[in-house]
Amino acid sequence: MTFDCKDLERALAVPELLPDAREHAKVCDACRRELWLWSEMSTVAPDLREDWETPELWPKIRQSLAAQQKAAKPHGLGGRLGWRGDWRMLAGLAAVLAIAVSVFVVTYSRPAAAPAVRQDSDFLTEQTLKEVEKTEAAYRASIDKLSRLVQPKLSASENPVAIADREKLMGLDSEISNVRATVAHNKFNAQLQTDLASLYRDKQDTLKEILQRAQ
Amino acid sequence: MAAARLTARSDADLIQASKRGDLSAFEEIYAAHAGRMKSIAFHLLADRADAEDAVQEAFLKIYRAAGAIQFDSGLASWIYRILLNCCYDTGRKRKRQAETPLAAEPAITNNLPVQVAIRIALGRIHPQYRMVFWLFEVEGFRHSEVAAILEIPEGTSKKWLFEAKRELKRLLTESRA
Repeated sequence: MTFDCKDLERALAVPELLPDAREHAKVCDACRRELWLWSEMSTVAPDLREDWETPELWPKIRQSLAAQQKAAKPHGLGGRLGWRGDWRMLAGLAAVLAIAVSVFVVTYSRPAAAPAVRQDSDFLTEQTLKEVEKTEAAYRASIDKLSRLVQPKLSASENPVAIADREKLMGLDSEISNVRATVAHNKFNAQLQTDLASLYRDKQDTLKEILQRAQ
Repeated sequence: MAAARLTARSDADLIQASKRGDLSAFEEIYAAHAGRMKSIAFHLLADRADAEDAVQEAFLKIYRAAGAIQFDSGLASWIYRILLNCCYDTGRKRKRQAETPLAAEPAITNNLPVQVAIRIALGRIHPQYRMVFWLFEVEGFRHSEVAAILEIPEGTSKKWLFEAKRELKRLLTESRA
């Protein structure tokens, strides 16, 4: 084969052609330089790796994990007795306990002058709930609209960013569905409604960002 | 690379022990991967503090999700996928918070050492190509591992690496002409 400068690109893609390319490079400065650069990239690349000491990182992670573990461990009588109950039952017990504690606190501990404020901040009134549900419906309509625009672009792409976006949206959908299921049994809980609104906002923002990037 | 890669058996052992609350097993996973995770996160975020935050967030997610892991795709690729997602999230948040425009990229001049020139040129190629170049050439992953991390076919990983090197060669050749 008569190797020419224009064959170099092909030779870099097809290893069988490299001996010919090297032979040609002996008499061609430009190709020699390009071949050298090609292999030099792989040679120096590992030196680009960033390495630095972080002695405080694992202790920080460990501390957060220990806190997570502590929060997840069975407490109280059930835990001490080694009882392994169904999680729904545990959640139910926790809810009953929380309500009992709230009732106790509201009845016996709260100063008499502040009941309205306390009630307003923790629980929604019928009127506020209607407004919250209206806002939620608006969010969902907007999200549905955005999803219809974004979906074709996202599902067709193998770009790592698109993959990350898809995973993030799936994560948000799953969280939204979890919180909605909880809200369905506790519609007047202001904190749950705030969490749900925040998730909707996050999903809306994510969809908008994807759309902006695609345009 | 080989020293840091865990075998399938120890993957399973460590993650099982972690699920039982054995933090020393989880620390082994951390010790095997944290260095490379920081490097990848730094490459994506260009800030050590952000990179450390992303790695920390990734490990917390890994621990929380450990119960659901399927071992057919391997622990390592799963760990690095989670890390990339954390980096993209951090990057998005930082982009939203950024008040000042980013500084202009330095020019690739012919008197720069190749390593410095490559670092600058890497910032100018397609992000997909750059990511594959980084994982394969810098971090030492194999194409099968790069493919698993980025959830792309192995052939695509090879193709993107070739495109990355071709683009880098073009930029470096132009600067040295």
